[in-house]
Amino acid sequence: MPFLRKREPREPKKAKPRSLGRDAMRRLMKNRAAVAGGVILLVLFFAAIFADFVAPYSYTEGSVLDNYAGPSAAHPLGCDFMGRDMLSRLIYGARISLAAGLVGAFTAFIIGVTFGLISGFFGGKTDNIMMRFVDIMYAFPTLLLIILLMVFFKSSLSVSGVAAEGFRGTLSNIDRAMGGMFFIFLGIGITSWLGEARLVRGMTLSVRNTEYIEAARAIGVPRRRILFRHVLPNVLGPAIVAQALQIPGFILYEAFLSFIGLGVNPPTPSWGMMLSDGYIAMRSHFHLVLWPALAISITLFAFNFLGDGIRDAFDPRQTR
Amino acid sequence: MFQFILRRILWTIPVILVISSVTFMLMHSVPGGPFTRERALPEAIQRNLEAKYHLDDPLWKQYVDWMGGIFLHFDFGPSYTSRSRTVNDILAQQWPVTATLGAVAFLIAICIGIPLGILSAVKQNTLIDYGSMVFAMLGVSIPAIALGPFLIWIFALKLGWFPVATWGTPAHIVLPAVTLATGYLSRFARMTRASMLQVTREEYILTARAKGVRETMVNLKHAFRNALIPITTIAGPAFADIVTGSLVVERIFGIPGIGKYYVQSIGNRDYPVIMATTLIFAVLIIVMNLLVDISYALLDPRIRYS
Repeated sequence: MPFLRKREPREPKKAKPRSLGRDAMRRLMKNRAAVAGGVILLVLFFAAIFADFVAPYSYTEGSVLDNYAGPSAAHPLGCDFMGRDMLSRLIYGARISLAAGLVGAFTAFIIGVTFGLISGFFGGKTDNIMMRFVDIMYAFPTLLLIILLMVFFKSSLSVSGVAAEGFRGTLSNIDRAMGGMFFIFLGIGITSWLGEARLVRGMTLSVRNTEYIEAARAIGVPRRRILFRHVLPNVLGPAIVAQALQIPGFILYEAFLSFIGLGVNPPTPSWGMMLSDGYIAMRSHFHLVLWPALAISITLFAFNFLGDGIRDAFDPRQTR
Repeated sequence: MFQFILRRILWTIPVILVISSVTFMLMHSVPGGPFTRERALPEAIQRNLEAKYHLDDPLWKQYVDWMGGIFLHFDFGPSYTSRSRTVNDILAQQWPVTATLGAVAFLIAICIGIPLGILSAVKQNTLIDYGSMVFAMLGVSIPAIALGPFLIWIFALKLGWFPVATWGTPAHIVLPAVTLATGYLSRFARMTRASMLQVTREEYILTARAKGVRETMVNLKHAFRNALIPITTIAGPAFADIVTGSLVVERIFGIPGIGKYYVQSIGNRDYPVIMATTLIFAVLIIVMNLLVDISYALLDPRIRYS
């Protein structure tokens, strides 16, 4: 980000230069809860990326003898209803949850920033029409829309059979290769960019009326260059933070969709699906519910702590 | 003010038109109809059924007829799966369940969340403050699909205080309502605390204290009233969210509410039920947002609508 670029002083001075980013970082590192959240997330990320090496067993293969097995030396967290190792499934499940959170946030970010930037920068009739559209979509119950979209994706875009052709076939193949995650990303992205668009539009409007934009216009800088070089960088920071704070929400959407059976496709382990498999047998085998519930709660806990820390650190009113 | 409300009410017309047509198109582009079965029905029966429910009409006509039915006769149409009941019957039977659950959860969230937030702000940086904020953080982070099973296990299976699932007596409401409320309760507590802390830095609070106003009065009348605006901002959407969110809780606790029925109806391609539920939730969201905007004007005399 250009506005965070460190400027080297010409003559070496003793005091370190203090930029917004550096100050924020210092404040963030002092916040113990945020650091703890960050460390948990790092561990989760590595576990998710290197799941093939970290997980002791496969997430698809189980033994009938181990159905509903409790914790033991071989399976520290026990086994699920098909005798599959819980720990391994949890580790692979981290992939799904983190991916849903991050890719969901990224998709919503791209759509929201593009939409808000165009709306705010061009103003007038364009702005009016685009924002009325956002207003209308705001009244759409998100949970219901995402369910409808998932059903739509799953039954009209996915083509059963091996020889899937054409645009729909391509989408369907991508989705199948990702264990059903692609459509979840799409569903989250399509439903969750409205707030971001409003935020970016508001900031674009205020940036557009500043003196330096007027100056740039006066010396004849083309519009596209003003948009990308002068407006966009000033809008980007808060837009990123706003989406980062949304990540727990996206993780929840995925868990919920998988919980009601509209999420990932079965052998792929998702924490939401493990919960829905487990709570049926909860009375006698509580560990089937316990571990996925803990996993998802700890992950959200870590994201919330880190998010709070980042928001506080970038808050200019704080001068700790 | 009156004009503002009128304009907002008129605005709901295009909103409802767009939402219903989007839902309608999404539903009808999903392959398979309400009478598609694993074992196909004889063609004549299939055709007769479709003719009975006007499913053989062109799509635009089906849409116009359906919308007309609602606005002219308040008739949401027939249900394709439960043949003996109309959608109106289904709504009358299941909507009260969801509404009760949502209202109880919302009350729990407000009545515990806001006092908790005030308490932490007043006792800032004490053990009470830290304790309630850790609790709030836990509440925000534990989702209903994890909390629900936990509560069932502890309070229903181990302690036996409440029934495990289903609906009927007041005791049945407790666990699902708490599951539904916890996240919003925590959000209210955090919001109230932050808002209170910001207001207490204002100079009129200092003035009030200097005048010798009692501390409880300063906190409740001077600080809390002004801290209410950001709280109402989240309270409106939160109510709508809680009611939609009962979809999850109804599924965990096996409650016969509209949310559980919605998911089933999508599987059954029961178009009128899907449309009716989506529209009702949308209207609820619109109404809540309108109420929030009106309450701004009541809470803060500086805000005027034209």
